[in-house]
Amino acid sequence: MKQEFSDEQLMAYADGELEPLQASEIETALAEDELLTDRLALFIESRAGAALAMDPLLKEPVPANLQASIEAMIADSEADQADRPATTNPPNVVAFPTRLRRLLPSYEMAAAASIALIVGGVVGFSLSGTTNSPDNVVIASSLTALSRADVVAAMTSVASGDEIALEDGSRFRAIASFEDENDNLCREVEIDSLDVSTVVAVACAENAIWNIRFTVVAASVENGYAPASSLEALDAYLQAVGAGDPLSDEAEQSALALLRN
Amino acid sequence: MAESFGQNLIELLPNLRRFALSITRSATKADDLVQITCEKALANQTSYQSGTRLDAWLFRIMRNSWIDQIRRDKTGGTKVDIDDAFDLAGEDGRTITENSLMVKTTQNAISRLPDDQREVLVLICVEELSYQETASLLDVPIGTVMSRLARARKKVADAMGINAQLTRSSKSEEL
Repeated sequence: MKQEFSDEQLMAYADGELEPLQASEIETALAEDELLTDRLALFIESRAGAALAMDPLLKEPVPANLQASIEAMIADSEADQADRPATTNPPNVVAFPTRLRRLLPSYEMAAAASIALIVGGVVGFSLSGTTNSPDNVVIASSLTALSRADVVAAMTSVASGDEIALEDGSRFRAIASFEDENDNLCREVEIDSLDVSTVVAVACAENAIWNIRFTVVAASVENGYAPASSLEALDAYLQAVGAGDPLSDEAEQSALALLRN
Repeated sequence: MAESFGQNLIELLPNLRRFALSITRSATKADDLVQITCEKALANQTSYQSGTRLDAWLFRIMRNSWIDQIRRDKTGGTKVDIDDAFDLAGEDGRTITENSLMVKTTQNAISRLPDDQREVLVLICVEELSYQETASLLDVPIGTVMSRLARARKKVADAMGINAQLTRSSKSEEL
C-alpha cells in the first residue's frame, strides 16, 4: 500500500527539518511516485523563489541617517560600559535618568512637544482611589486623574489595545501589560485629559495597590495623542528597568482577573 | 578577537531592515522600527544569550515593538490599509536591481500574504531560521508555524506558476 504524506511533512523534508526516520520513508516513496516528487518540488521551489524575491532588499544600502544614528547609539553604549567599573554598581533604576538625558536630545522628533517629565517619584494610589502621599502634591496638577477610582477600575479591566471614556469624559487607553523583575503585573496606559494633555504612565500592582512607576505628561497635542518623544522616554525607561515582553492577551486577562478577585 | 555586540548589530542592519519592511510594509515605518529595535537591543544586550542566533533575538524584539505600536495606532485611529500592499521591491524606486518578472510576481504574492503567514515565510525561507527558532520567536507551537508556512508557500508557488493541482493534501489523494 502506498504511504501518504502531508504537505507539512513534505515541506519539512524540503527544509531539512524532518526526523531521519520519516525522511528516509519519504526518500523511498519518492523513488516510485512522480506526483510526490512534484509536490516536493513545490516546497523546494517556493522557498528558493521567496529567498530570491527578498534578496534585493538585503542589497539595498542602509539609509545614511539611520546608519549614523545607530552607530552613535552603539558608541554611546560602549562608552557607557567603559565608564562603568566591571564588578561594582549592580544594575538598578538609578541608571535610568542618565540614560534618559542622553537619549532624549538625540531623537529626531524631540522638538514635537513640550514634556513634563516626572521620574522616580513613587506615588501610591490604593484600589479604593484614596491617596494621601505627600508626593502627590508635586504632581497633582497633572496627575490627579491617576488617583481616581474610575481610573483604578480601568487599570484592572480594560484589555490592552482598548480604549474607554472615563467619568469626566477623558479617554483611557491600555497599551500593554508586562511583568517587572519581581513578577508584579505592570500596565502601560495613556490618558487624554480634558485639557488636551496626554499622560503616559506605567503602574505596577503590588499588594493590591497600583504604584505609579513612571509618568510623562505631554501637553497640547491636537489629536490628544502622546507624541513620539514621550513614548521614546517611556521606551528608555522600560529598557532601563528590564521590563519583560508584553503579555499575550490571554495572559493579561488572567492576570487582571486575579487582581479583581 | 570576537566582534563586539555593536559590530554584529551593524552587520545585521540590512537583515533587520528587510524583516521590518516585510512586517510594516512601509519604508518609513520600517526604518523607525529598526531604530527602536537597535535601541532596545543595546539597552538589553546583557540578556542576549551568546551562542544563540542574534538575528532571531533581534527579530523578536522588533516584532514585539511592532505589536506595541499597532496597539497604539489602533486606539489612535490610524488605519493601516491592508490593500495597500507594500511593494517589496522598494516604495520609492530605491532598488536598482533589475527584477525579472518572476521575482516581481513573487514579491507581490509575498506582500499579499496574511501577516502571520508572511512573517513565518520570511523568517524561515528568507532569514533561514529553523522551525523551532521561529516557534520560540513567535511564541506559538511548532505545528502552527508549519501550517502557516505550508499555506504561505502554496500561495507563493501558485503565483510563481507552479501547478497548484499538485498541492492537494495526502488525504484527498487516491490514484
